[in-house]
Amino acid sequence: MTTTKARAITYVWIILSAITLVSWFLGPARVAGPAVASVPITVAVLAMAFIKARLIIGYFMEVRTAPAWLRLSTDAWLVVLWGAVLAIYLW
Amino acid sequence: MANTQTAEVNAGGTTTRAHLPSNKDMWVFVLGDLVIFSSYFIIFEIYRHQQRQTFLSAQQHLSLSIGVVNTLVLLASSWFVAQSVQLTRAGEYERAMRLTVGGGLCGVVFILLKAYEWSTKIGHGLTFGSNDFFMFYYMLTGVHLFHVALGLVFLGVVFFELRNPKLRRVSMVETGATYWHMVDLLWVVIFALMYVMR
Repeated sequence: MTTTKARAITYVWIILSAITLVSWFLGPARVAGPAVASVPITVAVLAMAFIKARLIIGYFMEVRTAPAWLRLSTDAWLVVLWGAVLAIYLW
Repeated sequence: MANTQTAEVNAGGTTTRAHLPSNKDMWVFVLGDLVIFSSYFIIFEIYRHQQRQTFLSAQQHLSLSIGVVNTLVLLASSWFVAQSVQLTRAGEYERAMRLTVGGGLCGVVFILLKAYEWSTKIGHGLTFGSNDFFMFYYMLTGVHLFHVALGLVFLGVVFFELRNPKLRRVSMVETGATYWHMVDLLWVVIFALMYVMR
């Protein structure tokens, strides 16, 4: 069975896994000496995690085709959480 | 097709009307759980802000590779579970059951890798009391691990639901899937905040 939806789930899974592999090269555990904070890396990491979270909610949890109240609540959650994390980090 | 409440897609593949997967109660629970976890995440970030160097050096002791592999394992499990929902809707219960088992096995692999990760950390003397970072590390990954275990129970219920021709309720399969994806979603956040950002 390969419906449009089933195919979309597979594409999303490939994208999610690819983004995860990129993280492998970014973590502080990769640094040989003492790790230094990095605003560009952190902003990139948070942006990638935001995209991953939204893809999981939209395609795996099928919120993309769910009623508006659920789409709005999950989007609000995403914006508040990642906005707060970024704000505290940059503060 | 057994499912009456699904709006589903028409032949052209475009959605005709909104469909709430699972049920409202499950979503209230999921949203509540996301809010509770988020407060932990924000408290973690505030502590991180106050002890930047401590947290950064502690992060270097984490096994980034195990973190990456475990993320891939959970994403794969979510793929299995999401496809099993599609198959259930199409009435392909046998295949749906097999994919549910696949998803559950990934969950077991996650737990085993996490246990190995914890034991090596403890072996290196990095315990709950080592510093604030490790307190959060054990607390957040521990609470998450409990969710994985509970998710396996949900997948078990889904499996028996699919096995019994008298049951096979699509909404039940969706409920298990929704919970399981939430476990995956929370891990993606934990992974970014603890293992990767610096």
